[in-house]
Amino acid sequence: MSVKKFIKQIKKTLGIDDFEKKSKKKALKLLLKKLKNRQETLKKTPQKKLSIKEKKALSEEQKIITLQIKKAKNILEH
Amino acid sequence: MPTLNIYKSIFIPITILLLFTALFFLNSYPNVSTILGGIALFLIGMEYMEVGFKAFSSGALESILKKFTNTTPKAIFTGFLSTAIVQSSSLISVITISFLSAELMGLSSAIGVIFGSNIGTTATSWLVSLFGLQIKISHYAMPMIVVGIFLPLFSKSNSWRGISSVFIGLGIIFLGISYMKEGFETLKNGIDLAQYAIAGYAGVFMYVLVGAIATVVIQSSSATMAIIITALATGQIDYTNALALAIGANVGTTVTAILGALQANENGKRLAVAHFIFNILTGLLAIAFIYQLTQLVDYLAQYIAIKEDDYTLKLALFHTIFNVVGVVFVAPFIALLVEFLNKLFVPKGIDKGKSKYLDSSALVLPSTALVAIVMETKHLYSNGFDIISRGLNLKKKNILSDVTLERVIEDQYTYKAIDIDDFYQYWIKGLYGEIIDFATKAQASMPPEYIEELYKLKLANKDIVEAIKDTKHLQKNIFKYTVSKNNYIKEQYNDIRKGLVNLFRTIEQIKISQEDDEIVILLSKAKIESKRYDILSNGTLDRLIRHNLISNQMATSLMNDSDYAYNISQKLINMAEVIFIDINSDLKKLSQDLTITEEEINKHIKEYS
Repeated sequence: MSVKKFIKQIKKTLGIDDFEKKSKKKALKLLLKKLKNRQETLKKTPQKKLSIKEKKALSEEQKIITLQIKKAKNILEH
Repeated sequence: MPTLNIYKSIFIPITILLLFTALFFLNSYPNVSTILGGIALFLIGMEYMEVGFKAFSSGALESILKKFTNTTPKAIFTGFLSTAIVQSSSLISVITISFLSAELMGLSSAIGVIFGSNIGTTATSWLVSLFGLQIKISHYAMPMIVVGIFLPLFSKSNSWRGISSVFIGLGIIFLGISYMKEGFETLKNGIDLAQYAIAGYAGVFMYVLVGAIATVVIQSSSATMAIIITALATGQIDYTNALALAIGANVGTTVTAILGALQANENGKRLAVAHFIFNILTGLLAIAFIYQLTQLVDYLAQYIAIKEDDYTLKLALFHTIFNVVGVVFVAPFIALLVEFLNKLFVPKGIDKGKSKYLDSSALVLPSTALVAIVMETKHLYSNGFDIISRGLNLKKKNILSDVTLERVIEDQYTYKAIDIDDFYQYWIKGLYGEIIDFATKAQASMPPEYIEELYKLKLANKDIVEAIKDTKHLQKNIFKYTVSKNNYIKEQYNDIRKGLVNLFRTIEQIKISQEDDEIVILLSKAKIESKRYDILSNGTLDRLIRHNLISNQMATSLMNDSDYAYNISQKLINMAEVIFIDINSDLKKLSQDLTITEEEINKHIKEYS
């Protein structure tokens, strides 16, 4: 057995591979939560006081956040 | 200019102090009060003149100082003429220091301008002696002030406001001189200061010291000279002592320069020390040869129709002569002086190209080696940022501030392209080589999971270097087309600059952000923005060509340059993703999965265009 295969076997036995995946999922969940919070905060921004340019920038930012939330959810589901 | 700043910060207190002292002596010593009031008016007048000339002639003055200072004799003459006309050596020093900092002027030229400016500043002595004392100057003061006040009513332009300030300033100066003269004349009836005249070298040293102290206190050699000349005209001081006082005024003015230089950068310090050395040497020469110089003044006075007993004009002549003699003696050693000053104040930039974090002790652990490389790559980026911003003709401080994009692109760094190869040679090449060398050494003992990160870091370094090289290509046309008469091409090149300013600002935000979600959003925004400025894909270039708004040559340049700008932004975003996301953060594991794709970017732009 080569060294690489041996290390892989050990990782599998100790469940280190799963641990890495789990920590990534945990980080992703945390990020998702932060993104959702930010989305909520932006939704509450009073639009009346904003200029057209600022409204456009706000809408773009919301769109980007929605896209990132979608991406994060996709990764979590698969 | 630090000298100017320090003068400005104490100008108001000095003037107020003079006025309060004048009020204090009003009843007990009305003549002293008149003299002090006259000095305060003189200083206020000088301030008005400077502000006026700044507004009225700064553009022309800058062009003259840029164009006519390439050789030392030219620089001396230009420094002399501009100071004599503007009547403000501080203003000339400010412009000289700013040119020196922007590398538009070499140190030897800057020293030449300052030497010339020293001769030019003696014009004030001539002004006071010729006009202030020979004619009834106060008669002209009021009409000048009135003209100055009414001029802005006819035109609101900056130039006219400047001219009006010059008029008001001259009027107030005339008024100040007439008060000083009147004060000294009446003082003579009570106390005769001339009785304190000291003969021989003891007197010379004593009065040099008095002149220097007076200038340090008033912070203006011109004001000291005005006092000396009016006191001499009224017979309150002896001619020889007046000469010594004039030498003292020249020496005293350097104290202001030295004080100011304490807070200045290397260029400011070098110039202040050059000024100090020059004035001290000139002062020593003048003291050593004071009697010979007096004879020379007497000899020359005959040829320029100065009467034998006209001591005020003779003093003005002496003031000019000893400054000219100083320049003649010191100018041949400017090259030596430059060498000495460069050794005395090593510019900070010289260490920019040397590594700060690549210590061999960091190689012991893979994690510390990685951190050292990240830190050094950030250092490389900082140098790269300096070069790219200069290449785009932008001031770094503006990019890092919150001023509008329009203001950032308007406030240009320089008027001609910088040599990016030179900057690359000093600030990048060696440092980049050291990072790669260190990374290679670190790799030898690194476990596989670190090697992927190390590889990304190497790529980030390469991205910075390539972004600088792209800037070099872009720079030529930036300088050409941002001053073009064709507004369409000008707008496109300014849009390129604005886009890159936006990117730098986003990177700065990423750099300081502690929130993962904010970094993810900022990176996505940066990618979308950079794609938006890619005029090849957004149809701008097609529109400009189709409507014949730009020439074929312009179109080709714009096509290539927008490509360079797009590449610069892509490389900098890639670099930011690697070096500004904390190596131990959760986001490091996720950033690749969350990267916004080309398709998503295009869809987003389509939606918001």
